[in-house]
Amino acid sequence: MEPTNKERLPYWHWIPAAFALSGIIVFIFATYGPPASSSGFVSTLKGFLEWAAPDYVAAKAHYKAIPGPGSWLFAFALGMAIGGFIAGRTSKNIPVRDMPPIWKQRFGDSRAKRYGATFLGGFLILFGSRLAGGCTLGLFISGSTQLAISGLYFGVVIFAVAMLTARLLFGKVTEQEEIQ
Amino acid sequence: MTLIWLGLFSGIAFGFVVQRVGATDAHKMARSHLMLDADIPRFMLLAVALSALGLFGLQSVGVGRILPLPTSIVATGLAAVIFGIGWGLTGYCPGTTWAAAGEGRMDAVFALLGGLAGAALFAQLHETLVPILYDPTNVGQITLTDLFGNQAMAVAMLVVVFGLCTWGIGKLWKSS
Repeated sequence: MEPTNKERLPYWHWIPAAFALSGIIVFIFATYGPPASSSGFVSTLKGFLEWAAPDYVAAKAHYKAIPGPGSWLFAFALGMAIGGFIAGRTSKNIPVRDMPPIWKQRFGDSRAKRYGATFLGGFLILFGSRLAGGCTLGLFISGSTQLAISGLYFGVVIFAVAMLTARLLFGKVTEQEEIQ
Repeated sequence: MTLIWLGLFSGIAFGFVVQRVGATDAHKMARSHLMLDADIPRFMLLAVALSALGLFGLQSVGVGRILPLPTSIVATGLAAVIFGIGWGLTGYCPGTTWAAAGEGRMDAVFALLGGLAGAALFAQLHETLVPILYDPTNVGQITLTDLFGNQAMAVAMLVVVFGLCTWGIGKLWKSS
């Protein structure tokens, strides 16, 4: 907490934020069950495919296992987007950017390149999540809260691999400390 | 119907908090992965430790529903590697993708579309991949309670280890 970084405090401090988030998580366990967010993607697809290709949905195990849009899981994912929207509209200080400065520094101004990369990244995180059965929230956070080995194992590996990936991608620009 | 309102309310609260702490900012996330900003990882680990205590409290009064996912040594590990590459590349995970897209970040909208494509492909391949990758090394719904033989002991161990990790990240990450 050096005083030099005072200008970087548009965000909530991590300790009260962690208390707030865990309050919400415990509320979810009490009123529903383990929270999850990658399942919301499957719910969305299921809703669309039930209209476009009902026979396909009825035959596939993955769609049988996850409820469609009329469910807590879908409402939660939609709520996250609404919560992000409200939080973004009501904050004057947190910058909403289409491209992270660190990405620009390393890969240039091309929006196509950034959007292509996030499409690919989104593809990978969801493919991985569906293979494991959950994501950062549905497997690591929910799972570890329930003391599940799967959540702890998944958590250790995703942090390690993401840190390595970030280092390989952005390693060259990390010395330039002016990018905040 | 009540469940839908509960889900919507929980999602709004969750999305609001993760935006306010900076987890929807892919720049802050990249800096976390580069060990330049310790806030998000400490936020996540402390939230898990506190949630574990809270859930233990709930269970001791018989409230709530739990469903620990099984561990497949190959599938869970391989999935985590694929996930980690995507997380390091974009700075988004599935939950923050929803919140960041709602916030109005265009790169998150593309991550959301990519996510739908990834989920659709996995759903298509589920019947092929699960028997090959998941089932053979599936060791079941094991938890720390199975290792320690006692739930209170297991919760205490988790809280201590996550607390130490939170403290260690504050020391090792060279940030703020």
